[in-house]
Amino acid sequence: MNGHNTNLHPQPLRIRLMARGDEGASRRRWALLADMLTVGLALIWLLPLVFSLLMSVRPAGEPISTGSIFFGSTLTLTNYGRALAVAPWGWHYITTLIFVIGTLAVQVFTVTLAGYAFARMRFAGRQVLLILVLLQLMIPPGVLLVQNFATIRELGLYDTRWALMLPYWSSAFGTLLLRQAFREVPYELEEAARIDGAGLGRILFRIYVPLCIPSYIAFALISISSHWNELLWPLVVTRSEEVRPLTVGLNKLFNTSDTGADYSLLMAGTLLVIAPLVVLFMAFQRRFIESFASSGLK
Amino acid sequence: MTQTARPLLTRLLPYLMILPTLLGVTIFTLLPATRTVIDSTYKPPRMARGEAEYVGLQNYADLFDPAHYIGARFGRVLTNTVVFAAGTVLVSVPLGLGLALLLNRRIRARGLWRFSFFYPSLLPLIGAASIWAFLYSNTVGLTNTVLRSLGLPGVDWLGNPDQVLFSIIVVDIWKQAGYHMIFFLAGLQNIPRDIYEAADLDGASGWQLLRFITLPLLRRTLLFVLVIALTFAFQTVEQLSALGQGNPGDRGNLLLYFVFQNIGERRNWGYTNAMSVILAGILLIFTLSNFFLFERRREDERA
Repeated sequence: MNGHNTNLHPQPLRIRLMARGDEGASRRRWALLADMLTVGLALIWLLPLVFSLLMSVRPAGEPISTGSIFFGSTLTLTNYGRALAVAPWGWHYITTLIFVIGTLAVQVFTVTLAGYAFARMRFAGRQVLLILVLLQLMIPPGVLLVQNFATIRELGLYDTRWALMLPYWSSAFGTLLLRQAFREVPYELEEAARIDGAGLGRILFRIYVPLCIPSYIAFALISISSHWNELLWPLVVTRSEEVRPLTVGLNKLFNTSDTGADYSLLMAGTLLVIAPLVVLFMAFQRRFIESFASSGLK
Repeated sequence: MTQTARPLLTRLLPYLMILPTLLGVTIFTLLPATRTVIDSTYKPPRMARGEAEYVGLQNYADLFDPAHYIGARFGRVLTNTVVFAAGTVLVSVPLGLGLALLLNRRIRARGLWRFSFFYPSLLPLIGAASIWAFLYSNTVGLTNTVLRSLGLPGVDWLGNPDQVLFSIIVVDIWKQAGYHMIFFLAGLQNIPRDIYEAADLDGASGWQLLRFITLPLLRRTLLFVLVIALTFAFQTVEQLSALGQGNPGDRGNLLLYFVFQNIGERRNWGYTNAMSVILAGILLIFTLSNFFLFERRREDERA
C-alpha cells in the first residue's frame, strides 16, 4: 500500500486491494498517473503567477532569456517603486476599500431583513415579490450598464463613490442565501424566545444571525472578491482618479502608451493590485473554499 | 391570532423588511431592464435636445443587416461571443470536474494544488489579463521566448485575427476552471460513502463508479455549474481591455465589451439598448432551457 488510491474513498477499497492483487497494482499505477497529472497541471496553472512575479523583480527592458540563471542577472525592487509612482494608488486603495466594505455593510443589513421575511414570515404576495427580487439573478448587471449609467447621472451621483456602491446594495443572491440558511434554523428556538418575550430584533440578532455566521462569511467573501475585481462599472460611472478603484488604476497603467509595453512595471503594478486578495485567500483558504462551495448548492 | 386582529405595523412589517431590497432591485434592475427594452425601439435624436423617434424593431433589423455599419460589426461580435462562450464552457467545466476528481483523492499537499487551480478565479479580470498580455507579448513574452528557444516560430497571439479569440478563450479557461472545481469538490463530498462501498463490494470498476454513481449524482452540481459558467462567459469581457480591446478588426471583440465601447455614443444609443436586450435574451434562454431540461429529466426518472 502506498497510500495513494484512484478511488474517491480509500477505506473499503483497501480490503479489495488485498483480495485482488493484480487489480491493486493496476490501481496504484493509475493513482501515480493521477498524482503526476495533478502536479503537472498545477504547475501550468501557477506559471503565470510565477512569471509575473519574476518579471516584476527583473531590471526593466531586459529580455527574458538574458542572465546567468534563467531569469536575468540582477533582481530589483525598482519596478515596484516606479509602479507606485505612476498612479495615485493610495486613492485607488482607499476607493476600493470603501467600495467593497460600504457595499458589504449595507448588503448585510438588507439581505438579513429580506432573508428573514422571505424565510419565516407569511404575507400576501410573498411569492410574487420573491420572484421580482430573483429577477436580479436572471438579468445580469452587465446588460444594464447603459441604463444604470443614465440613472446614476440623473441621480447626480456621477463621479462619486456612491455611484460605485448603490446598485449593489440589494442582493438577490444574498437574500436567497440567507433565506435558505434561516429556514434551517429550528423554529422552536424562535418560539421559545418569543415565549420569553423577545422581540423580532432580539430574535434576529441573538438567534438567526449567530447561527448563520457561516452563510454570512460565505456571502462576505463572495461579495468582497467580486467587487474588488470590478472594472467596467467603475470605468463607466467615474472619471476622477480619487474615486476610481484599483482595477481602473491598473487598467490605466496598462493602456498608457509609455507604460504599455513596460512589462516589468506592469507586472509590479498587477501584483500590487492582486496581492491583498491572494494573501486573504491564502490565509483563509479552507474558509474561502467551503464558503464558495456551500453557497451554490442546496 | 387571526390576520385582522394583528396590529397594522405587524402586518406591514414583512413589507418594510423587504423594502430596501425591493427598492434596489426596482431602481437598478427592473426599471432599467424595462427601459432597455423600450429604448431599443427608438432612434436617438440627432441633436442633444431633440426628440427620440419610435422605429419599432428597426434597430434590431439594422443589427442583423450585414450591410449596415453597425450590423457589419455586430454580426462578427455576436459570433465571437457565442464561440467564446462555447469554447470556454465546454473546456472549463469538464476540466473543473476533472480537477475536482483529481483533488478529491488522497494526495499530499492538497492545499497547494487547490490553491494553484483556484487562485486565478480570485484575480480581477484586468489583473489576470495583464499577466497574460505579458505571457502573450511578442517581444518579451514567455510563450514566444519558449517557442523560439525550441526553434519554432513565435505566435502573434493577440495580433493575428485568426488567433486572438483562441488566446482570449485560453485565459478564460485558466481563470474559470478552478472556480468550477470548487463546486464539483463540494458535490463530490456530498455523495454518501456507503454508495461507493456497496458498489465496490459488487465489484464495480473505478470507471463504472465514475460513470454510474459519481456523474449521475453530480448532475445537479453540473447543472448549476453550467448555468453560472454560461452566464459568466457571456459577461466576462473586462479582460479585453488588456487583451487587444477587441482588435484586430473586432475579431477579438465580445458583445458586452462592444456595448461598453459604444456607451458614450449618442447615435448608437438605440443599438446599445437593443444589443443589451439580445444579450439578456440569450442569457435567459440558457438559464431557462437548462433548468427545464434537467428538471424534466429528473421527473422522468422518478416515474
